[in-house]
Amino acid sequence: MPPPNPANDEAHQQLLNTLDIAHAPKSFRNHNWKPSQRRNKNVKQMLSESSRKEASVMATQANSGATTQGTFGDGTRTPAEGAAPNLSQATQNLSTLVLEKNARATNPTGPAVTYTNIESAPSFNPAYQHHYCDITGLSGQYTDPKTRLRYHDKEIFKVIRTLAQGVPENYLEARGAHTILK
Amino acid sequence: MESPHEHQQTVLLSRIIGNVEKLNEAVMVMNKGLQEVNIQNMNVELVAQMFKNYQSNVLFHLEASPILGVVRPNFSDNRVCAVCIICSLSTRDRVSRNYIYRQLILLSTVDPKSSGAHPAMTITAVQSLLPGRIASNSSEKQTEKPPPQLHGITDFPFKGYHPPQPEGYRQSQAHPDTSAIVIDNGAHLVKAGWSFDKAPRFAIPPVMSRYRDRKLMRQCQFIGYDAYVDATTRGQLRNGFDPGSSVVGNWDVMEGVLDYLFIKLGVDGANGGVGRPILMTEPIANLGYSRKMMNEILFECYSAPSVAYGVDSLFSYRYNGGKDGLIVDSSHTSTHVIPVMDSKPVFSNSSRLNWGGLQGSEYLMKLMKLKYPTFPTRLTDAHMEEMVHNHCYVSQNYNSELNGFLEWSGLEDRDRVIQYPFTEHVVQEKTEEELAKIAERKKESGRRLQEQAAKMRLEKLVRKEQELEYWKALQIRLESENKKETRRILEAEELKDEAALERMIRELEKSIKRSRNKDLGIEETEEQPEEMTFPMLDIPDDQLDEAGLKEKRHQRLMKSNVDARLRAKEEKEREKARVAEEERLDREERENNFERWISKRRDNRQRILQSIKDRDRFTADLGNRKSLASQMRMKTLANLASDGPKKRRRGGDDDDFGANDDDWGVYRTVAVGEASDDEEEEDLNATLDAAEKELLEFDPEFSEHNTFAAQSDWTKSLVHAFLRGPWPFDPESQREAHQLHLNVERIRVPEVVFQPSIAGVDQAGLIEIVADIINQRYTNPQDQSRLLKDVFLTGGNTLFTGFDERFRNEVRGFLPVDATLNVRKASDPVFDAWKGAAQWASGDNFGRSSVTREEYLEKGSEYIKEHELGNATW
Repeated sequence: MPPPNPANDEAHQQLLNTLDIAHAPKSFRNHNWKPSQRRNKNVKQMLSESSRKEASVMATQANSGATTQGTFGDGTRTPAEGAAPNLSQATQNLSTLVLEKNARATNPTGPAVTYTNIESAPSFNPAYQHHYCDITGLSGQYTDPKTRLRYHDKEIFKVIRTLAQGVPENYLEARGAHTILK
Repeated sequence: MESPHEHQQTVLLSRIIGNVEKLNEAVMVMNKGLQEVNIQNMNVELVAQMFKNYQSNVLFHLEASPILGVVRPNFSDNRVCAVCIICSLSTRDRVSRNYIYRQLILLSTVDPKSSGAHPAMTITAVQSLLPGRIASNSSEKQTEKPPPQLHGITDFPFKGYHPPQPEGYRQSQAHPDTSAIVIDNGAHLVKAGWSFDKAPRFAIPPVMSRYRDRKLMRQCQFIGYDAYVDATTRGQLRNGFDPGSSVVGNWDVMEGVLDYLFIKLGVDGANGGVGRPILMTEPIANLGYSRKMMNEILFECYSAPSVAYGVDSLFSYRYNGGKDGLIVDSSHTSTHVIPVMDSKPVFSNSSRLNWGGLQGSEYLMKLMKLKYPTFPTRLTDAHMEEMVHNHCYVSQNYNSELNGFLEWSGLEDRDRVIQYPFTEHVVQEKTEEELAKIAERKKESGRRLQEQAAKMRLEKLVRKEQELEYWKALQIRLESENKKETRRILEAEELKDEAALERMIRELEKSIKRSRNKDLGIEETEEQPEEMTFPMLDIPDDQLDEAGLKEKRHQRLMKSNVDARLRAKEEKEREKARVAEEERLDREERENNFERWISKRRDNRQRILQSIKDRDRFTADLGNRKSLASQMRMKTLANLASDGPKKRRRGGDDDDFGANDDDWGVYRTVAVGEASDDEEEEDLNATLDAAEKELLEFDPEFSEHNTFAAQSDWTKSLVHAFLRGPWPFDPESQREAHQLHLNVERIRVPEVVFQPSIAGVDQAGLIEIVADIINQRYTNPQDQSRLLKDVFLTGGNTLFTGFDERFRNEVRGFLPVDATLNVRKASDPVFDAWKGAAQWASGDNFGRSSVTREEYLEKGSEYIKEHELGNATW
């Protein structure tokens, strides 16, 4: 390490001072604003919160036909249970009927779009079910029964067998195939 | 009466007394010495006991430790003392010496590599993929690759100081109600500017570094690129977004980022707030909580008059003039596919894939850490991002390109070398001159030594010659003397008789002659030893006197000597003949029955190869604690370490270890590591070389590149190509140790968006999602063709070379032949969202879609107004 250069240090400190905004005047801020201490939440927490909310909305949509009515505006699909709600069913639960009506009024295109339900589904297309070597990324037709790693050829297999303990698990983790102990 | 011998007696007595005193002294000294020896022996015993305990501990830990790595106990100190002990031990204590020696070896065989530098009992489980290969001399020389083109890496993305730009704020004062602050709140870059700007004024990563400076005793806060300014700030880096998502997670950071942006935009806060409408982007189907918090901050902390939210990719699409089409937005944290009909997004038919640029660089990080587990420098996310940006590309045909990726030809172009900064070990480079000087000095000293030796030899020769002269003179003198005188003279010279004198003279002559020859460089001729006769042997003992018997004994000894020499010579000749005979038979077989001969040779080679393989497997198995090999080894170790109760029962404490040379062979079976089987390895390799040489000579089917060396050459190794590209690797070189090679990763990382299963994402790939939306959710062919006519790519993750082409080809794959497909890319996939937002904010819709402060106060923090570019409430 080079010996600390006082002139350099000075310059650096000055640079830091110009970059630092901790003490810059922020008159646009409301100084009475005191944020909650626990306002930071990760997506998981937010989702569990919102899923509770969603569940209550979904309950009103279940068994009501609202979900299947999907795109009934374009008329290309046959509505599964007809445009009119089945009265005999609906009368069983008046609150459902009311909620359903309200729901249809707010979003006529079907179930609400939420952060979770726009996530795409798993793939079932066999064209995308290739296996690749975990070590090199080349095609991997073979699987080592001991470590469950996929490998390309016998040279890679040799490498797999010399891996230290725990390393195969890391390779599996990169592919999302590792075992999670809970 | 006085004895005449009294004087003599007293003298003798006094001498005796003196001698006895001296003897007493000597005995006392000896006692002292013995005492010391005893103390030392006690010490030895103690140390031996210590060793025993220590070693049984080691064994216990070896058995108990579940990690397969190498156990490295620190023996250096003990070993030193043990060596000292062995040196200082008296020879009579053979048993304890053997014992200690054995303990010492046992300990050192636990790890032959243990050195003082290792802390005691370090368990290392780190192992690199490939031991350093050394280029072997393959005759099939593959074309040498040009030296790699090195790509540097930016240390950290600090961009220098950016002064505030208050003129925008001044300009906005003319129309404070319509001039909005537009913020594209991206997880990678937060872009900000005024609605009347053509491009964002500031684009910073949403990171903050806030800490208390101990020296200056004050709070410091650095935002965006500024947070990368030095090591301290980088250490305190916090990201505003929840990792891996486009949802804000850390609101302190978000506030810091907004503070920074407002300062830089020159907002003076004249009326205690921002004073301008704000347009923000948010992810599709943003979470309620996130929007609520953002509203709270903007309205309550910054007192914004009105706020509107919109979706970034929709702004981008609008900016690029789209009306009906399919937006494919692959950005930093996620990839969205959004159908748009009549300029309105159809969110219910949209889909999100949780993969973007961030996940790509995280994936590359994982791959690199696995590929180079012992990489000496820290790899950072910024490095990975830079690598992904600069070196990765989307393969047009992944599977076929993949399988040829590590092929030798052209690998130098496919393999990208990233050179990290390093410090080369300073090797004192010696100049030609210095080397010559050193060689000269060496030669000089050698010559001096030679001269000295020659001088000494000469002196010796002269001395010998003088001696010879003397003896010869003596011999001549003896001839003239009588017998008694001769005896006296001979006795004085400590010679037995005249024969002895003669023998001595003869020997001297011989040695003088030999050394003369040596000096003159005459090759020593194997002089035929004169035929020795042993006449005395035939005479029976009883006819001989004492001298005769002695002579007979001497002759018998000589004779057996001569006989033995003869026997050895014969043996040698027989061996030679046998070898010659074998060779002849071999040749005959080769000439007469070539098939059999060659197959025998091939079998032999196979056998050697097999044994090499077995040996390798054995060494590999030793690494596995559960393998048979290591269990056997443990057993041997335990047997050796035990005090040998069986032995003791049989015959007391007598430890005869080492009496038989074979005893030491046990350490060969015990030792692990390279040190142990060096000889054996050399041996096997030598035999293999010989066998291959023969095959090369005679077998027409066996050529240079079939040899083991050529087969195991690094140029043939796939792993080497993967790790080090088409260049040899020198494990000593710091430069090469600090290199990352990107090859398969270059297409492997961007491929994930098409095949998420590669990285373990359990979602359909981008093409499948698009196919599903087009084919399943829109059954009306007119709608389908409306979408297909304008497929719009935006977002930073679409910037890869070949992305649009691959996308177009694959989408084409699931469409009917006659379908029209237009794929276009945003003019600027990264900044168009902001530009579109600014454009929209200058229009009328913005005012209509904004939530004013009054509305916020009245309707709550989750209230938004729906518009054609924003999220819907639900």
